Amino acid sequence: MLSSTVALIVLSLFLGLGAWFVFLWAEKRGEFDDPEGPKYRMLEDDDESRPGN
Amino acid sequence: MYPSTDTLTRGAALSRPVSREHSRPAADAEILCHHCRLPVPAGDRLADRIEGRELVFCCHGCQAAHRIITGAGLGDFYEKRKWKESGVREKNFSSLYDDDALLPLVEQQGERDVFSFQVEGIRCATCIWLLEKMLEREENVSSARGNYATHRFTVQATAGTLRPASLFQVASSLGYRPRPATADANRQHALREQRRLLVRFGTAAFFSMQLMVFSMALYAGYFQGMDETSRRLLELLAAALATPVVLYAGFPFLAGGLRSLLNKMPNMDLLVALGVSAAYGYSLFALFAGREVYFDSAAMIVTLLLLGRLVEQSARNRAVSAVDQLLHLAPEKALRLTEKGEQEVEASALARGDRILVRPGDRIPVDGVIEKGRTEVDESVVSGESMPVARQQGETIAAGAVNLTEAITLRVAEPAASSFLARMARLVEEAQERRAPVQRSADRIAARFVPLVIVLALLTGLGHLWLGAPPGAALLHLVAVLVVACPCALGLATPMAVVVATARGAAAGVLFRGGDILEQCARIRTVALDKTGTLTQGQPRVVEIRPRNCSEREFLELIGSVEAASNHALAVAIVQEARNRGIALQPLPGRAVAGRGVLVEEKEGFILVGSRRFLEEHGVVVEEPAGPATEVHLARNGISLGLLLLDDPPRQEAAGLIAELAAMKIEVAMLSGDRQQVAARLAASLGIHQAHGDLKPEDKAAWIGDRQAAGEAVLMAGDGINDAPALAAATVGCSLSGATDIALDSSDLVLTRPDLGRLAAALRLARRSLAVIRQNLFWAFTYNLVAIPLAMSGKLAPAWAAAAMAASSLLVVLNSLRLKTVALEPTRLSGR
Repeated sequence: MLSSTVALIVLSLFLGLGAWFVFLWAEKRGEFDDPEGPKYRMLEDDDESRPGN
Repeated sequence: MYPSTDTLTRGAALSRPVSREHSRPAADAEILCHHCRLPVPAGDRLADRIEGRELVFCCHGCQAAHRIITGAGLGDFYEKRKWKESGVREKNFSSLYDDDALLPLVEQQGERDVFSFQVEGIRCATCIWLLEKMLEREENVSSARGNYATHRFTVQATAGTLRPASLFQVASSLGYRPRPATADANRQHALREQRRLLVRFGTAAFFSMQLMVFSMALYAGYFQGMDETSRRLLELLAAALATPVVLYAGFPFLAGGLRSLLNKMPNMDLLVALGVSAAYGYSLFALFAGREVYFDSAAMIVTLLLLGRLVEQSARNRAVSAVDQLLHLAPEKALRLTEKGEQEVEASALARGDRILVRPGDRIPVDGVIEKGRTEVDESVVSGESMPVARQQGETIAAGAVNLTEAITLRVAEPAASSFLARMARLVEEAQERRAPVQRSADRIAARFVPLVIVLALLTGLGHLWLGAPPGAALLHLVAVLVVACPCALGLATPMAVVVATARGAAAGVLFRGGDILEQCARIRTVALDKTGTLTQGQPRVVEIRPRNCSEREFLELIGSVEAASNHALAVAIVQEARNRGIALQPLPGRAVAGRGVLVEEKEGFILVGSRRFLEEHGVVVEEPAGPATEVHLARNGISLGLLLLDDPPRQEAAGLIAELAAMKIEVAMLSGDRQQVAARLAASLGIHQAHGDLKPEDKAAWIGDRQAAGEAVLMAGDGINDAPALAAATVGCSLSGATDIALDSSDLVLTRPDLGRLAAALRLARRSLAVIRQNLFWAFTYNLVAIPLAMSGKLAPAWAAAAMAASSLLVVLNSLRLKTVALEPTRLSGR
């Protein structure tokens, strides 16, 4: 009983820590710097062709 | 003016009333398009009949453009445009910076060059998109990102290949104005601060969520029983998870508390630090003593308070960045006239005696004396005078005024550093320095509550010792008092209400720059309002027509036809009025006499439109003066046909606002730089009992200072440069969207929509918030009042204390959320 509880606890700790690391990583990449932009960006067509290049 | 009125009429007369002609005599090859002024090739000729006139266009595009322009009631464009004078400065859209100036700003980050710059002229999301795509097409550029909120672009390229000047050229060629992003130390610091706060909050949130899981299990174990091994395990896990929350995320509170202790000024931080460290420290002790732990309380306080700070800070930053974007009032560039010709220079580089050219539509960069030309200037931001003022050779113009009609040559009287604008900026600074720092009500309470709790805790410990308890138990009771007095609810009482109210305000078009402003707004008893541009619309309108020997319609038709060719502000207002009434105007070519009026010669005499003096000079008998409003008279063949009155009418919502403020028992006063007579009349029509005219900017600030000295909290609402010192001096400075930058910058409260009625909404919201804060504090204190004596007696079980603490916090949060739905417009049926 206890061992399965411990296993679950460890699992949940890893999940939580994982989420925390993702958050830290995203912050470092500046994902939270511009909360305004994404709502416009999702409406843009990503046109990868670059004429003249 | 423009070359070919006669070519136009000739072409119009020749064309037959059919919409398109394919064959016509080749002799008339020089017909010009009515819209674009280019010669019309014979085969492409299009004719359109508009307002009884036959007009020729070169293509459907020009025809459509003409229809759109006239359809919008702006047909005057074709009469007014001047071909020899470009409204846009030639070099406006070409970049002024070269690589030498910009390369030092390029940062090297490993393998890449990173260059950030600010772009002016961004209007919508598509501008950002366009610029990003165009910048990315530059050679070697790997990515270009624009920030939608701050309009700052960051471009990355392979190291050593970035050419900033070419990037500026791209932005310039698209019609935007790139500026080097000055490394503003304050701004950078604020940005770093916000990122750090976000990391702290994120960390606190993730760890607290984990912690809550184990704490729940522990609580369940406390009530239902739990085997010792599991309990130890869970407690150790809880301790491990709580430690980073308290020591890392909660560091600002601990440091702030220590600082306030060293300064001997107990504040909210100290209270929080005390509660957090007591809960955490006691739990650590209990962990080894085998008692109940409650790490979760410590972690939850930290997390919730960080959330509050985060929301508050982002609201503050948003207000600041809105202002930052606009903070370019004085033109940074001026056109200096030298022997070699025009030269674009920094306004700050102008010296006394320099000659500069100011084009129509430009702001005057420095105080100066007109050397050549006569024009009309809009001095409303400087003096509060709403009507355009005629200025001619030898007269002085203050920096900040806008040149309206003609290009003038100005001799610089004062360098930029001692100009009117700079003087205002200094006044603002002085006022801001004088203003006492506001102390929040929570801090005021903390100042008394903290020492009391410490004393009570000490008394508890000593009391139990004196009653014969062992030292360990006495210490435990002492800590229990500190823990139970934990300021969870007390700490949240203000921030929660502020957060909810700030968000509610932002949605309703009201930006409070910080929670302290919200509190200050609630205490406002006197509201001072600027006249021009704040209570009024800031532009002249026709308010009354008094025809003589003719109907109103005939009067307007004649006066409008005379004025139709003029771009004088009063003429525009008259023509607008005629157009609003659906009167078709046939522009009559006339001769304008600057500062006087227009004279149109006819076969049997002449038509005069202009000031009383102008008509009297031509021997026309005019009726008695009508009052303080601006008069425009009309006479034909020496006989007066009456006059019309122009005024700067109050905003539609102004009277409603005054009534609402009166209902809220707030005293209203008008402070104006305009003439006393004008101010008093408008005040009377709006129901304002106190009107003060002829006030200089310093006088406005002094009036507010006097009121404050009498112990009143004064709110000042204004929009002009001349209001800035008063805005800074007032308890709360308020400006509307569209106000001048310096006014926005000196404001604590910004109404983000051009609707003055929001002011009442803001004050009402502030009052409701203060009421909620007081309720919250009351609950928090009631809880403490019950819990502290229990803890002092040593009878309170820790788990119950924790549960009570959670309940009281929840109550505070829920009560604050009520602000989300508070009605802000009781006098109106519905919002827009």
